[in-house]
Amino acid sequence: MKYLVMIQGTQADYEAMRGEASANAPAWSEKDLQAMFAFMGAVNNDLSESGELVDGNGLAEPAQTRFVGAGKDGRPVITDGPYSETKELLAGYWVLDCESLDRVTEIAARVALCPVPEGTPDYPVIIRPILDSGGDV
Amino acid sequence: MRRPTGVEDLLRSHAPQVLGALVRRYGHFDLAEDSVQEALLAAAQQWPEQGLPDNPRGWLIKVASRRLTEALRSDEARRRREETVAQLTPRDAFTAPAPGESRAPSEDDTLTLLFLCCHPELTAAAQIALTLRAVGGLTTAEIARAHLVPEATMAQRISRAKQKVKGVPFRQPVTEDRDQRLAAVLQVLYLIFNEGYTATSGRDLHRADLAREAIRLTRAVRRLLPTEGAVTGLLALMLLTDARSAARTGPHGELIPLDEQDRGRWDPQAITEGSALVEEALSQGPAGAYQLQAAIAALHDEAARADDTDWPQILALYDILVRRAPEPMAELGRAVAVAMVHGPEAGLAEVAKLEDRLAGHHRLDAVRAHLLEKAGDTEGARAAYRLAAQRTLSVPETRYLQMRAARLLP
Repeated sequence: MKYLVMIQGTQADYEAMRGEASANAPAWSEKDLQAMFAFMGAVNNDLSESGELVDGNGLAEPAQTRFVGAGKDGRPVITDGPYSETKELLAGYWVLDCESLDRVTEIAARVALCPVPEGTPDYPVIIRPILDSGGDV
Repeated sequence: MRRPTGVEDLLRSHAPQVLGALVRRYGHFDLAEDSVQEALLAAAQQWPEQGLPDNPRGWLIKVASRRLTEALRSDEARRRREETVAQLTPRDAFTAPAPGESRAPSEDDTLTLLFLCCHPELTAAAQIALTLRAVGGLTTAEIARAHLVPEATMAQRISRAKQKVKGVPFRQPVTEDRDQRLAAVLQVLYLIFNEGYTATSGRDLHRADLAREAIRLTRAVRRLLPTEGAVTGLLALMLLTDARSAARTGPHGELIPLDEQDRGRWDPQAITEGSALVEEALSQGPAGAYQLQAAIAALHDEAARADDTDWPQILALYDILVRRAPEPMAELGRAVAVAMVHGPEAGLAEVAKLEDRLAGHHRLDAVRAHLLEKAGDTEGARAAYRLAAQRTLSVPETRYLQMRAARLLP
């Protein structure tokens, strides 16, 4: 059965990864970045090898988000953010095909251990079962 | 994409000729294309088990023809059309021999197919997809995977493209159109190459096959048009660029810039071949953009160490390039060369002139960042790296730029 596994982040976290520190997000050093790349790379490799990885991507920072709504006159209304600095949003996701909720929970628990600089906020990794893929929820 | 086996290579090299034979004889590009795919599939299943037939191309033409006539017969209206066509076609118009007969390689068909697939009516995305499918012999699933789109989307794109070129006569464009159409073919091959080359990290590894496929197709075009400088130049450019691919990314998919690459990991064979092609291309008439870019790539590749790079020569080539083909990315390349020859401040002045035309483009910010770093403006460089990292949507580039910014932290 398939699951959507999501990680979160704020605009400030993205900026910290580029070296711009703020109150809740200390700047990442080159070593911090390398450690994170290596960790995520290993997770992705393992998921590819086990055949559980269906898809996965990181998302661009919240500032590059665009909202599209339906206007009253039938024309779409398009706006950029803004998001407040503290609001966490989807930062990346995996679509995984796992044997059970227990197994995908195990994977999410590993993702949660990703090394980050001291003082970076902790966000839970979120699992959402995907409907219509059969199996237990 | 799996590693191509002997049979797969054989099938890919025959695919355009088999398709050419069918389209020439029956028309119906879309049906012919489906039939060839079915024949290729049958061959891929049967040949490894039963051994190769004596005349593989004849076998494929025979099986594909059978599938095609079956498809035509299945529909009453289609059958009538088939009969009309048969009656209208004089016997000697059947330039392809009967199915199963051996014949000299009809290489021209490959080129005619390429011209058809790169028809000006089609969008660039459709041209690329159709070229990979009809001339490259890739399956829809493979093309979809390489473009990171669902298979259904790619199937739709290909079938719409086939509909569009359905009525186009199967022959090479007339002389006055030819140069322009050849330019379109080369552009599509270059786009395929770049799609494969720019995606180098992790699970996108299969896209490297696109670069290989583009090189293979360009080689095929060069065999047919050996004296066309642009074709020779494009092949040289691809080989000289691809030669560096192993050294281009680090262990975690981050980009490594040219001057920091481990040159021992460059492919010496591709460099030798590419350099020889550059010389040949430059002797084949006035140098166009591909020849000049290939010559620049050759100068980079031939330097044993980054410090040995012949920057004055590269700058001279960029000067000609931006005069012949004024294009902002070429001018940005020239700005780097100016910096290497005349110092970072001179380069920054050139970058500033491009501000309007490349506004918001991460590459402009990245080049500015590098030049500011070289000029000793750490704070300005860090800000420019950050801006570039914010603007790129490529994972390897983001990583590289983030790392560059982090390296300059106080």
